[in-house]
Amino acid sequence: MTAGWKRAFFTLTITGATLLLVFPVAWMVLTALRPASGVFYVHRGTEFTLANFAEALAKPEMKAAFFNSAFIATFATIFSLAVTITSGYMLSRFQGRASSLWFGLIYLFRCIPYISWVIPLYLLTQWLGILDTYLGLLLPHIAIHICFFSWIMKGFFDGISPEAEYAAYIDGCSRWGAFFRIALPMATPGIVALGILSWLYTWNEFLFALILTGSRTSMLTVRMAQFVHETGIEWHLMSATAVMAIGPALIVTLFAQEYVVKGLKV
Amino acid sequence: MPRRRGFGERERFMLALILPAFAILIAFQIVPILIGANASFRRWSLFNPEKAFVGLENYARILGDPIFYGTVLPNTFLFMFASVTAGLLSGLGLALLLNRRFRGERIARTAVLLPLMVPPVVAAIMVTWMFNDQFGVVNAVLTALGLEPIPWLISRWTSLGIVILTDVWLWTPWFTILILAALQTLPAEPHEAARIDGAGAWPLFRNITLPLLRPVLMVCITIRLIDAFRVFDIVWTITKGGPARSTEVFSIYAYKQAFVYLNFDLGSAASLIGAGIIMVVGAVLYKALSYAVEVSR
Repeated sequence: MTAGWKRAFFTLTITGATLLLVFPVAWMVLTALRPASGVFYVHRGTEFTLANFAEALAKPEMKAAFFNSAFIATFATIFSLAVTITSGYMLSRFQGRASSLWFGLIYLFRCIPYISWVIPLYLLTQWLGILDTYLGLLLPHIAIHICFFSWIMKGFFDGISPEAEYAAYIDGCSRWGAFFRIALPMATPGIVALGILSWLYTWNEFLFALILTGSRTSMLTVRMAQFVHETGIEWHLMSATAVMAIGPALIVTLFAQEYVVKGLKV
Repeated sequence: MPRRRGFGERERFMLALILPAFAILIAFQIVPILIGANASFRRWSLFNPEKAFVGLENYARILGDPIFYGTVLPNTFLFMFASVTAGLLSGLGLALLLNRRFRGERIARTAVLLPLMVPPVVAAIMVTWMFNDQFGVVNAVLTALGLEPIPWLISRWTSLGIVILTDVWLWTPWFTILILAALQTLPAEPHEAARIDGAGAWPLFRNITLPLLRPVLMVCITIRLIDAFRVFDIVWTITKGGPARSTEVFSIYAYKQAFVYLNFDLGSAASLIGAGIIMVVGAVLYKALSYAVEVSR
């Protein structure tokens, strides 16, 4: 192959791949912008409207679902980061039996399918009287992330040399002091990155939301899935809701790329 | 720091660091699994308040259910292998393409990140709409090309194909980003040496790039296989396990037992059988992973 052909081949494949990745989202945006009468032939006609967004948001249960999802995502992120930062630090800085035991436990429970513990979790939260409350949704959503986040946090701290902490010990700093004043600030970029992803993971989560919520605390993903199964023909409203649901994802993709890429490292 | 024996200040610090995470893990993961294990040995359904101990009867019923061994397990493994293989190959290809400077690089990289951020439920809705038999864009294109439109979601294999396609779309970017990051940290010397020796593109990739990528590829494969085994959201949104239970995967089957047919005993037994299967797969992968990382050190 000559250089020119190679170049053409490269440009074609990369353009094709980019289009394939963007097309479904673009198609959904286009559907959301079409009036109800035009939605069945999205590709024909040129009328566009923003009314679908207003109509989708006018449903009180949708407004509540947006709020619930944002609320749970925010607090689940704060708490799951708080408990996994120290757990990851422990895994990174200490070798020995305790540390490898904890890591083994984390790997083991990371492998267990969600469905195996969410079925009895339903019974447990019901028994505790917190089924279909914010608390009953928040605690399991913190638990989902413990294993994976501890693992990733370990990676962040592995990337930071412990020399500075040793120096602080010699200067009379306590273990907690060295952790808070030296290790934590150095790991902050990674933690922020993981925080962004954590927020999106909870916002996107479906199975726990489906089983552990009723009508009082329903989450956005569950409402949308119901929408498809119950009123499977209102595609313009469905698309408008879906476009709003990927709003946070779009913002993150456009403005916080470096953070996301950093947070994805395993 | 001097090392002390026994439970000293160092041990107290270690314990304090993991205690909050450990407490939540026990309360909301380990305890539920024990409750589930208990339920799986009893007769435990909405209409049966006795909760009599029945030993392994529930396990026997699940393992003897033709839908479980004839449909659910084959579907789950097919989904796992097809989706991870396709995601890995397209992710690797895309990473190799992106590993250079070119005009429009930023646009391409943003496009790569997009599917990763989209909720799987939304992706599933988008795909359901695109493959809608009457008004979907895919059938519109087929008609425009003079072909017959295909009713995608009424047969088992096309439905499964669409579910796998959705998963590949969602996860190709993840492979791409991790592999691209690994490519950018590869040492340049082996490549340069081989190029000076006149090695072609394919031997260069096959003999140098691929072995160097082995650890990251193994990590990606391990994580994705384990996660693909428990897929729920996209299958539930696209097919609900239909038509006629033919696309049920493991998580859907356990969910339906517990929350549609309201048999907590059978649902728990099914979910624990699945957990057992993935434990074995996970243990094998863990060994393979340690080996791959060790070899390439």
